[in-house]
Amino acid sequence: MKTGKYILVALIVPVIILVLWYIATTFGSLPASILPGQQMVGNAFIEMTSNGQLQGDLMISLVRVVKGFLASAITGVFLGSVMGMSSKMQNLLLPTITVIRQIPMVAWIPLIILWSGIGESSKVIIIMIAAVFPILVNTLSGIESTPDGYAEVARLYKLGKWKTFTKVYLPHALPQILVGLKLGLGVSWMAVVASELIAASTGIGYRMNEARSLMKSDKVIVCMIVIGLIGIIMDKLISLLFNQFTPWVNLQKNSK
Amino acid sequence: MENTRQNTGRTGNEYIINIEHLNKQFLVDKQPIEVLRDINLQVKKGEFITIVGHSGCGKSTLLKIMCGLVSYEDGTVERNGHAVAGPGPKCGMVFQDHRLLPWLKIKDNVGFGLRHLSKEEKEQQVKEHLELVGLKDFANSYPSQLSGGMSQRAAIARGLANKPTILLLDEPFGALDALTRIQMQKEILRIQEEQGTTMVMITHDIDEAIYLGNRIVVMSARPGEIKEIIKTDPVESKKRDSILFAKYKKKIYDYFFEDTEEEHDVAYVI
Ligand SMILES: Nc1ncnc2c1ncn2[C@@H]1O[C@H](COP(=O)(O)OP(=O)(O)OP(=O)(O)O)[C@@H](O)[C@H]1O
Ligand SMILES: [Mg+2]
Repeated sequence: MKTGKYILVALIVPVIILVLWYIATTFGSLPASILPGQQMVGNAFIEMTSNGQLQGDLMISLVRVVKGFLASAITGVFLGSVMGMSSKMQNLLLPTITVIRQIPMVAWIPLIILWSGIGESSKVIIIMIAAVFPILVNTLSGIESTPDGYAEVARLYKLGKWKTFTKVYLPHALPQILVGLKLGLGVSWMAVVASELIAASTGIGYRMNEARSLMKSDKVIVCMIVIGLIGIIMDKLISLLFNQFTPWVNLQKNSK
Repeated sequence: MENTRQNTGRTGNEYIINIEHLNKQFLVDKQPIEVLRDINLQVKKGEFITIVGHSGCGKSTLLKIMCGLVSYEDGTVERNGHAVAGPGPKCGMVFQDHRLLPWLKIKDNVGFGLRHLSKEEKEQQVKEHLELVGLKDFANSYPSQLSGGMSQRAAIARGLANKPTILLLDEPFGALDALTRIQMQKEILRIQEEQGTTMVMITHDIDEAIYLGNRIVVMSARPGEIKEIIKTDPVESKKRDSILFAKYKKKIYDYFFEDTEEEHDVAYVI
């Protein structure tokens, strides 16, 4: 059917890559430390999972992501809401935030390591810095784009400021907040890997870097594939969850 | 419950709405723009008033002043005998774009203004009013699943849900096709009869104004002034092909024609 066809089309490019990879490693003269064969990568995967190393590393990284993501979700939604509801707060904070946003996430890593070492907290801080901005910006724009007409309805029924926020502005912004959270989660995952690559003694990023220093390209590739897969799974999970939170959104799409 | 400034202390307030010498200006770029000039209008209990006038003549502003969404500085505006100082539950409002909140089911939209009631009372009120507008099968739908006419009916149910003494309607059927519009007109008359709610409705459809209004308020172009208030015959005005109906229609057309002619002259000179 339609989805079956969709999946088939989506699989064309990955299959070509796999075939090219197979040809290059079987008939080419690349050393295995540069590009290992698929068999080697498979074996490395089995080795890394059977001794529990891969799962352990993933667990450590995921816990960091959860901590950092939750912290940035709370901060981002809070600041975005405050700035959306009060133009005074927006004038106070937005210029600074806009400037800080221009600094790439990886450029923070050296300073964060100087301040809080290479332990857990530095990872969480780096994730926060990376993920808080997409969440904040989307929350702000969702709140700001609320039509005046809806606020007028709230005024007609004499809702107070807090009720107007929770009953009108927040629900209006919710779909966009969810978009921000989705982006934020993706960025969190990238940030944890990047920070572990640069400075860590545990986690999936660290494992990758260690494999590189031992010239174990098969393990590097295993880590890369796993990172990609986990990223997609997190993205899909959060999308599923969101449809539960905003049942009215897809109705609108379908009716158009 | 009604938010009011203070009782003006006058007796014999048989009027639901009493407007005397109301002037309204808006400040646009610090320049005052005159929108309403010397408005005098009294609305009696159970009346159906329709307002017609050129686009931008201040009809919506007048309605919003009545319900307390827009402030006024000059003149008297009383609702149920008290000077209007803000919205209150005794005054319902239906906007042109139904303004149902997309994230709430129809039943929650209708119950949106019923915060002061207990859960059971609220459910009862919502059910009653959904039945009144013929939407009881759609209580659990979202606004995006409703047609234009159904959305307007839901908005009317929301406006009536806390049993206001007066319902203000700002071009509620403006976006509907001719057939649905006529059906909705019948419906709103039925609702008014059943509930005895006083109604003030803005419309740009002259037929609609005649068909629904016990009195038709004809306004001039900006600054909005009341040119005339036409009292209609209760029987003849409900027959769209009656001679009297055509007479009313001509009368209102003539008022608009006056204005357009003036505009034409100006355009010609330029
Ligand atoms: N909040 C406001 N601030 C400044 N000007 C306003 C405001 N609200 C309305 N106006 C102006 O007042 C005039 C009357 O507006 P209003 O919406 O009452 O007209 P209307 O008769 O309802 O027109 P329409 O038939 O097009 O709905 C317009 O010129 C409009 O630009
Ligand atoms: Mg208007």
